Amino acid sequence: MSSLVPDFDVQRVLVTPWTSDATMNGWIVLMGFLVATTCGWVGQYLLLRRMALMGDALSHSILPGLAGAFLIASFLNPGTADGAGNARGATVMYLGALAAALVTTLLIHWLHTASRVKQDAAIGIVFSGLFALGVILITVFADQVDLDADCVLYGEIGTVGFTDYFQLSGRDVAPLPVARMAIVALLTFAWIQLFYKELLVSSFDPGLASSLGIRANWVHGVLMLWLSVVIVSAFESVGAILVVAMLIVPGATASLLSTSLPRIFSLIVLHAAISSLFGLHLALWLDCSIAGAMVVTGCGLFVLAWLSHVIRVRRARHASLPQDAPPGTLASPSVTPNPP
Amino acid sequence: MHRLPTFAHAFTCLALLLGFCLPTGAASAVPPLRVVATTTLVADLVRVVGGDRVQVQSLMGPGVDPHLYKASAGDMSALGSARVIFFTGLKLEGRMEDLLRRMGQRGRQVVAVADAIPSDQLLRKEGAEGHPDPHVWGDPRLWSLAITPVRDSLTAADPEGAAAYAARAAAYRTQLDTLHQWAASRIATIPKPQRVLITSHDAFAYFGRAYELDVVAVQGISTVAEAGLADITRVADLVKQRGVKAVFVESSVPPGTIQRISKDAGARVGGELFSDALGTPGEMHEAGGERYDVGTYLGMLKHNVNSVADALR
Repeated sequence: MSSLVPDFDVQRVLVTPWTSDATMNGWIVLMGFLVATTCGWVGQYLLLRRMALMGDALSHSILPGLAGAFLIASFLNPGTADGAGNARGATVMYLGALAAALVTTLLIHWLHTASRVKQDAAIGIVFSGLFALGVILITVFADQVDLDADCVLYGEIGTVGFTDYFQLSGRDVAPLPVARMAIVALLTFAWIQLFYKELLVSSFDPGLASSLGIRANWVHGVLMLWLSVVIVSAFESVGAILVVAMLIVPGATASLLSTSLPRIFSLIVLHAAISSLFGLHLALWLDCSIAGAMVVTGCGLFVLAWLSHVIRVRRARHASLPQDAPPGTLASPSVTPNPP
Repeated sequence: MHRLPTFAHAFTCLALLLGFCLPTGAASAVPPLRVVATTTLVADLVRVVGGDRVQVQSLMGPGVDPHLYKASAGDMSALGSARVIFFTGLKLEGRMEDLLRRMGQRGRQVVAVADAIPSDQLLRKEGAEGHPDPHVWGDPRLWSLAITPVRDSLTAADPEGAAAYAARAAAYRTQLDTLHQWAASRIATIPKPQRVLITSHDAFAYFGRAYELDVVAVQGISTVAEAGLADITRVADLVKQRGVKAVFVESSVPPGTIQRISKDAGARVGGELFSDALGTPGEMHEAGGERYDVGTYLGMLKHNVNSVADALR
């Protein structure tokens, strides 16, 4: 019994992490928070467009990008041990993955708009096709090196405190992945602020969008391109599972608690904060993968939100039966564009 | 109305939590030198050279494929507090190696044990000259070269133990030497034409070179692509053509493909070899009238040599 689930040792789970390992754990929580927030925000638009599984699709379809980048880098830099050694280096792999992600999103968009194929089927066709292409590329051209996303691209959130630091006038400011993710988060925030109306209208009603003079196609295209940047950057720093989950779970949780988009965006931030902090402690308690524990915590929050949603709907129904039900307490199943 | 009590509860919980978080400041007695090793093989090497003075934590457990390792929260705090971090190198640990080397540049003491092996003794596949095969422990003579960096870095971290480390390192070098002689004589009992070692993934190149076995792997090094049909047919044909008596499965790779070849070509499965990870410490195997612990390098290699020699003869 006790060998399977470790005892909840307060000292080990709650105290030591914030005394002797405080710096490391602080960066882990901050990193988890930044990734979950950024992915949650972008993911909210994916949820509205019924493209929630884009993250999972991209985690597979980057494989040909990795293989292609490796082949090109080895070709440009043949022979020397150093040159070929760098062919599997992080920068080359990042660029390859990014290129493949851009191709994936554009192909999905194109396939979906230029044929009768629906969004979800388009995602399925493109990502499985590209993944298979990657497998073939590797077996044919690069069978002698270990080349898979787990090995060469995916980062590990637990190690962010150990990486190189971003320096300002000679002083360590923040680990590089955290600094990079913070910039991506800020850009995402600014972008949502600037194009709030365009994104909103084209997500809900592309027809209305074009009648308002918004090019829904372009908005969608830019969203997809930015999505590729966010996802590949996050893969590179924290691995796949956290990204795939955090594209969906925070937005889904927040949408159960509120129907106003601005409030949903704030709730996503709250969800990100709770799941990264409690996730870390869950991981410390069970001595398990940190990313995994954060996702499980996030899903736990979703279950809580769902229960409270069910209870609220019941109560609202109850209340509306006798006399006066206050308007607006009735939770509607879908998000409405404007705050109530 | 409903919100208020919940809020109060939450506040109380938070206050309690903060109360627990006050530092207690109790320090334990002087502990042994705490070090971390990535794989079971490296951990074993450090344990042998370090003895009682060193407490080794292995990040990857027994039977774990290093390509598929996921770090746990405990691993991270061990990594954060270890005095020395040992790893294989030669890209075996993937992206983790980049990270560890960078930690080294930032002032932490990290040691890639395979860096001590001269470049001209490493095996390189055609078309991948920049990526030497990392499975160097297949040859005890190469693995013996990794003793020196372990001894030196332990001595640097704990100068008082210098004599002990030197003695243990020298003794282990002799043991590995004896092991190599024994393994060579054991494999020599297999008739030359039958010395074909067929395994699932490409981890026995050094073993094969050391003991003059032709090594054929069904799969490449990467585990993302499964074995192709052509690979399976090619290997099955080879088995029939050379009259190979047995094929081998590995402890850290699923056995399906090898079982298929065994069925297709009529060679039996000669047993499970340890490739990328040792067995569980204390797991005793018996062969050739000898009992050995496959959780150690010595026991693991003996197990592999005995399995191969018995099955192919």
